[in-house]
Amino acid sequence: MKSMAIVVRDDSYDKILTPLAFAYLQAAEGVEINMLFVNWAVRALTETGAGEMKIQGDHADQDAWVREQVARAGLPVEIYDIIKALKSTGNVNLYACSLAAAIFEVDEDNLIPEAEGIIGASWFLNEKAAHADHYQYF
Amino acid sequence: MRITTSISEGGKMTELKVTSTLDTSGKCCPMPMVETNKAMRVLAAGDILEIIATDPGTRNDIPSWCERTGNHLLETREDDKVYRYYVSKN
Repeated sequence: MKSMAIVVRDDSYDKILTPLAFAYLQAAEGVEINMLFVNWAVRALTETGAGEMKIQGDHADQDAWVREQVARAGLPVEIYDIIKALKSTGNVNLYACSLAAAIFEVDEDNLIPEAEGIIGASWFLNEKAAHADHYQYF
Repeated sequence: MRITTSISEGGKMTELKVTSTLDTSGKCCPMPMVETNKAMRVLAAGDILEIIATDPGTRNDIPSWCERTGNHLLETREDDKVYRYYVSKN
């Protein structure tokens, strides 16, 4: 596999771990990863949003326990630190969906420097997802 | 520091020199594979990396990674849920 495209929708702490872990796994092996953050997940590309992510719903009361387990597994606990680790591979591109950015108040001012920018979904789907060897949606 | 260990090859024991050891004990996917990729990058062709892992996922991940990357899995050992992989860099 040479490239992988991932669309991330869920913004709860536990649910965003999987796409980030998959991206890290493949990027470490030299695969080009392009990730589009849509819906609430676009806030993961802001320092505040990444820091505020927590476990929601039925497992909300297990947030601290999950974070301990993540640390034990060897991953950085904070979402922003995981994003930094992804970028350190040199193989990960992070994009904020322009619609999601408009709705959930993400702009060029609060976007983390690790992100490539705010882009249209059409460009991502046609130029990145359609050309990727593998495509995932979370 | 080089560590010497022995592997069984064709019924006889062959000595191999481990160039470096990566201990991923306690860590889970994706970290063992992320760290294996990093460790392998700094080795030279023919060098041998010993990977110690406790993540049972590595039992599939390491052999398939070797196959994909052209690195040679010389030996796999398992002792009380601790896995040791000896990989020669391609």
